[in-house]
Amino acid sequence: MSTRAVRVFLPALRELERELQAPIPARLRILRELEFDLEELLAALLANGVPPEEAHRRATEALVPDRHTLAILDRLHAPLYRRLTRRVREERLRLIERSLLVMATVGVLAAGTTGLFRAKLLVDPSPYLWPVLGLGALLLATAGSKVFEVWIKRDHRVPARGLGAILGLSAAVLLAGFGGTILDFYHLTALLARAPDLANALVPVWLVRDCALLSVSIILALAGGLVWLVLAQWLALVSGARRSALGLDTHHP
Amino acid sequence: MRETDFDVQGFARDINELLVLSALRDEPKHGYQIALDVETDSNGLFRFRHGTLYPILHRLEDAGLIRGSWADEGGRRKKVYALTERGRRHLSGETSRVHEIVSRLLSLLRHPGEATA
Repeated sequence: MSTRAVRVFLPALRELERELQAPIPARLRILRELEFDLEELLAALLANGVPPEEAHRRATEALVPDRHTLAILDRLHAPLYRRLTRRVREERLRLIERSLLVMATVGVLAAGTTGLFRAKLLVDPSPYLWPVLGLGALLLATAGSKVFEVWIKRDHRVPARGLGAILGLSAAVLLAGFGGTILDFYHLTALLARAPDLANALVPVWLVRDCALLSVSIILALAGGLVWLVLAQWLALVSGARRSALGLDTHHP
Repeated sequence: MRETDFDVQGFARDINELLVLSALRDEPKHGYQIALDVETDSNGLFRFRHGTLYPILHRLEDAGLIRGSWADEGGRRKKVYALTERGRRHLSGETSRVHEIVSRLLSLLRHPGEATA
């Protein structure tokens, strides 16, 4: 954006930004384009001897979109998802979205559980694997819903909401996995103290079930952490671009 | 052309789009330059007001008739538009269509009842 000390059209741009409904990246592209054109037109009018106030008024009148034009721009820059679902009522759409989210989560979880079953890791699983899978399902649903909101719906109204939950659930999955392994270990130690001759039979079984528990919790936590990192970076990028476009980082009149 | 092919409201929009395409015929330009050239070349007859230029530019870009690209100028970002090959063909075809419509309209206005189908 402009490196000029004074960006005279910032108040008008900020007002437009408040009125535009398009996703933030599209909104910023519109504002960037508009600001350059406004400054160029203003300079041309000033060069032609038009007084500054009149030049500012004429440039604004010529290029700053009115409400009707803003509505057209919003329609043109609406995300594909919004265009496809325009005819569906809001409540019905929300219901469909939630159902799809639940189905997707159950699908992913079923595929993962089938994988574990085929690898014979669910024959005699750790009792702590189930809370890990439960938290993992919650994590998948939260991350999936945020990804859907930001990249499919392109809804940036409350962009950071839900990000903390993704990170928190990832940590909870990891803690449940490690905590379960430690508790399993104490349980095994107690058993072996009572019956040391069972060591050869018990230790390999417990090793396998705790490896499965740890692997599942680490993979789920890493996936959650990765989704959180990418989302947080993307939202920080968008927010930084917005602050720069609207001159919110520095003092402007 | 049948009478049902002609849409008066659409025609006004088409004219605006053709003015923009025509302004880009010789070289790439940014939005303000397009608006200024249209106004200057038409002696002030056609003017874009209240930002109406931008929906036209973005619609044409979506349709692949013009191509927008960002460039740096003095630390500022500007969007420059260029006519695509498809846009050039569209401009040529639509200019003939507009010519036909205007000819028929003039004929109708000058000699009512004698316009050819």
